[in-house]
Amino acid sequence: MEAKAIMQTVLKRYNIYLVLLLLFIVATILNPNFLTAANMTNVARQLAVTTILAFGATILIIGGMLDLSAGSVLALSGVVAAQVFVDTQSLFLSMFSGILVGMACNFVNAVMVASFRAPPFIATLAMMTMARGAALLYTNGQNVLQLGRFSEFGQGSDPFFGIPYPIIYLFVLFLLTWYLLRHTRFGRSIYAIGGNEEAARASGINVVQSKYMAYLINGAFVGIAGVLFMSRINVGQPNGAIGYEFHALTAAIIGGTSFSGGIGTAAGTLAGAFIVGFLNNIMNLTGVSSFIQQIVRGAIIALAVIYDIWMKNRKTKSVLGSIENKDGSDKGTNRTIENGTTTDTDSGTKIDT
Amino acid sequence: MGQEIKLRVSNIEKSFPGVKALQNVDFIVKKGTVHVLCGENGAGKSTLMKIINGIYQPDKGQIYIDEKPVKISNPIQARNLGISMIFQEMNFVSEMSVEENIFLGRLPVNKFGKVDWKYVREHTLQLLKDENLPYPPDLQLKMLTISDIQMLEIIKAISYKSDIIIMDEPTSAITQKEVEKLFEKIEALKAQGACVIYISHKLDEIFRIADDITVFRDGMVVSTGPASETDINTVIAQMVGRKLSGDFPKEEAEIGEKLLEVDDFTQPGVFSDISFDLRRGEIIGFAGLMGAGRTEVMRAIFGLDSFERGKVKCRGQRITIKNVRESINNGLVMLSEDRRRYGIIPVRSVKENATLSSLKKIIRGGFLNAKREAELVGELFSKMRVKTPTIETAIQALSGGNQQKVILSKWMMCEPDILILDEPTRGIDVGAKYEIYKLMSEMAKGGKGIIMVSSELPELIGMCDRIYVMHKGRISGEIARKDFSQERIMYYATGTENNAIS
Amino acid sequence: MKMKLILAVVLVVALLAGCATTPAPAPAAPATPAQDAPAQDAPEAPPTDGEVFRVAYIARAQADAFAAWLANAVLEEAANYPNIEVTVFDGQASDSVVNTHIENAIVNQFDVIIVQPHNGEAQRPFVEQAVAAGIHTITTNARIDGIPGSSSVDADPFEQAAVNARVAIDQIPEGANVVVLNGPPGNFHADERRRAWQAEFFDARPDVTIVGEQIANWNIDEAMSFMEDWMIANDRIDAIISMNDNMALGALEAVRGTAFEGLLAYGVDGTAEAVLSIQAGEMTQTTLQSAYDLAELLLQTSYRLLMGLDTEIHVDVGNPIVTIDNVEDFIELHRRAGAIS
Repeated sequence: MEAKAIMQTVLKRYNIYLVLLLLFIVATILNPNFLTAANMTNVARQLAVTTILAFGATILIIGGMLDLSAGSVLALSGVVAAQVFVDTQSLFLSMFSGILVGMACNFVNAVMVASFRAPPFIATLAMMTMARGAALLYTNGQNVLQLGRFSEFGQGSDPFFGIPYPIIYLFVLFLLTWYLLRHTRFGRSIYAIGGNEEAARASGINVVQSKYMAYLINGAFVGIAGVLFMSRINVGQPNGAIGYEFHALTAAIIGGTSFSGGIGTAAGTLAGAFIVGFLNNIMNLTGVSSFIQQIVRGAIIALAVIYDIWMKNRKTKSVLGSIENKDGSDKGTNRTIENGTTTDTDSGTKIDT
Repeated sequence: MGQEIKLRVSNIEKSFPGVKALQNVDFIVKKGTVHVLCGENGAGKSTLMKIINGIYQPDKGQIYIDEKPVKISNPIQARNLGISMIFQEMNFVSEMSVEENIFLGRLPVNKFGKVDWKYVREHTLQLLKDENLPYPPDLQLKMLTISDIQMLEIIKAISYKSDIIIMDEPTSAITQKEVEKLFEKIEALKAQGACVIYISHKLDEIFRIADDITVFRDGMVVSTGPASETDINTVIAQMVGRKLSGDFPKEEAEIGEKLLEVDDFTQPGVFSDISFDLRRGEIIGFAGLMGAGRTEVMRAIFGLDSFERGKVKCRGQRITIKNVRESINNGLVMLSEDRRRYGIIPVRSVKENATLSSLKKIIRGGFLNAKREAELVGELFSKMRVKTPTIETAIQALSGGNQQKVILSKWMMCEPDILILDEPTRGIDVGAKYEIYKLMSEMAKGGKGIIMVSSELPELIGMCDRIYVMHKGRISGEIARKDFSQERIMYYATGTENNAIS
Repeated sequence: MKMKLILAVVLVVALLAGCATTPAPAPAAPATPAQDAPAQDAPEAPPTDGEVFRVAYIARAQADAFAAWLANAVLEEAANYPNIEVTVFDGQASDSVVNTHIENAIVNQFDVIIVQPHNGEAQRPFVEQAVAAGIHTITTNARIDGIPGSSSVDADPFEQAAVNARVAIDQIPEGANVVVLNGPPGNFHADERRRAWQAEFFDARPDVTIVGEQIANWNIDEAMSFMEDWMIANDRIDAIISMNDNMALGALEAVRGTAFEGLLAYGVDGTAEAVLSIQAGEMTQTTLQSAYDLAELLLQTSYRLLMGLDTEIHVDVGNPIVTIDNVEDFIELHRRAGAIS
């Protein structure tokens, strides 16, 4: 009984990593080129931009928010960074300006969502259009070319171990996200806000401030992703990265971030991104056609969401069951949870409703 | 007229898991009369009405209309049988027009499925004219006052040609003038031969309209009969007549200096001139009917809602109430009445729920001290007797009582001086209630001041040192422990002028 | 709750998009039948001095680098025609927006409407409507075939790819491994270019093996990822055959610094990036689709239609090949366009 319960807990908590492991094993068997240092580096490099966006998205979704403008803001940050590099030849200024633009756009998102209480879906949809327009206006619709050393961000490697920079960024931002969510008051606040905003406020959490923080962090991540994206393709492309916000959402959701808020981890999102990445990679290595690839990707998302909902329902029930067995005295009130409504049928003297 | 029996309820029983909501309920409603139902909350009135309206199915028993047995499986069937119900909490779409509201769910359509708006308009106009209501049929509901809408609900019920109309606390949201209008309407309905089942806590008003009165207590009918054969005092006694069940673990605590002084606290239209104080070691109670403004006062003191004026002193120091964080820093915390809405973060662990308001204690130097967090929570949980499989369990998986104890632990972790507990035992079972009472006593003994807002009179009487009673946004009375009685609280709470009680 | 809201919004957006792309029930409305158009033209045809003709240029999307270049080239070329005034409208890469612009241009009685379709079939009824309203219409890049009374200026997409393929037959070695990058399926240019490579190259070279073929949707980043994966899966890749320059450049970006460097790479379009890449010795060759040439022909065509010299014109621009030998000319061309500094 105990062993079975532990097994269940392990399965529940680590299922996403088990899926990743399984996929990894299957891919290794399917194609000898899969498990090579070159290919692993390759996958990580390809995933860097989406995964960095996904970390931002994870923080927001946990807090009950959303950023649909990520792809557009990425493009805007990226072309600004590219242009700044062309004008100044400074890698530092270029990265700095990219991050700044990302944060500025997300500051506007935060104003709409946190201060004016606009629904994040609509507010960031507006920003998505505005940022894309700004990117095109800034470049006059033309690509920014002749980027020179700017491509080092996305294509270079560190001089000591030869680790590609995008992978270093990916790892550093993973650690940062993990740290923010796990070790800071901001992290705890954002979980609480996503889980129940009113209760968070009533617990003394500064909801508005936390939401601003979340968007600004997301903005910095989007800015960095923009620089990496443009430098990887070696062109400042104002109409690049269309739809990347959805790649990011996909990684976050597959990684177990709950769209109802309050649940999600940095490691889960990383795993989610790699599940998508490995899947694409193995399909490319084995020459699966584009059409089938799209179907598979969609099916994976659908499965992840259904699994999330199914697990949530089951979890509530099974834990309830175990408490009821342990603690008979609480039996009577468990219906509160199962029914989803508070039925005040306890005997007691009350004079109002 | 007046003697024919319209509705007969016979031997109805209904159980919810763990609780018998109704037992052996019999009563009759005669044609052309107003039948008033009294009883405390949880006494079973609303459950019975929901059975008559087809929302619940009885476990046992039979309903007869015109002495013919009927089976009512849903509200539409109830409507077809001539029963309509005006709910206490009205559900309406504020963007909807008057005529749309009246014909909601039964818009007449022609054979192509097109709504016959001409018919709707004509009939609405006729109804409005009959009732002397001055507004046009295409006016949106949001332009009307609550009492206008209440009147609409009533004419809607009439438009169904219902002859049994159930009104659940219809006067809770309307002004005195509108109450008069409503009573006129009820008289008119009676004259047309319809019968009205009227649920209300306002004892002074029910005697004005009641032909018959039935008193409920603990899911049973205590008394039923003509209004002329009873009086207010008898009804109150019947309502609360049950002897207090069980003892309250009230312990004598040393009463110390003033912790909280509230003076002239006012938010127009919600509460006004609220002045009270709380001392160390004291448990004070706030009693009152729904809408009396108790929760609103407390939320404003805690910094959740705004207020217009008033002075608040904490340990003798004047404080400004800015937000919840400030209140916590001032040593003031509040457990909300609505645990699901303002209390728990359902998907997060009990540990995180417990430490949510004291993050500074566990996050030091930029890093979370997970070990310290677990220790703190463990200590507190054993003190508060929280039962949870692990501290990582999601709080939604716990029982109501244990959830409440986790939230109490959250507030205890802030080491407050003053605890406002708004309905601390709502929705939790008897065993857990006792535990909460015990914790309150221990806290008071530990030198904290507790404000307990509750609608359960026995627990207020059992636990408090003093009780303030609120009525319509004002404190209508303050009662010392030696003078506690349910009747006395009820008199203040209902705003009944009665000098017989000393 | 949140989910519900999101769903609702998605549905509404989808619905609106659906409504907008449904062809309006318009053809019945115009009072003037198509054949009356020339007659109606007659009174306004003689060019009186000082009279200015208004031309609506409806671009597929200003966000598309080539479309933006073409729109700029059209404006530049129009400066040479004192009695022609061009207004550019941005189709925002959306059928509904392009169609709305056409409708508005009809209502505003422009003298010529030039349409760069986002999707030829979606715009067809609207162009027909413009013809029916007696307005000169020209479709370009790509042309919409078979609308009587409508003129067109275009490059032949089959020919654009075919000229590359014919050269590649001699350049790609015996028994080569090649990878193919395709545009979005269903796109006229994407499909025609791929058909040209099939007919002119693959059918003639059964010794060549396609070791990877994917749809990269004209995008650099997608093509780059595909190429990275193909380099893992294959020891040898001799050539990149791409249906546009963007994707070829993405693949070349992946190749840089690896053992695969120096392979052959073919694109189409002759964009500034591609020309620079050819100059740097990375890309092998591309075909120029010159926005200047298109713009010149568009204005010529507009003029002839307005002057009543012709009633319907169909004309193609040439397909010059860009290689390392003649790349300087094309760099000059892009410098003029401001794409290269």
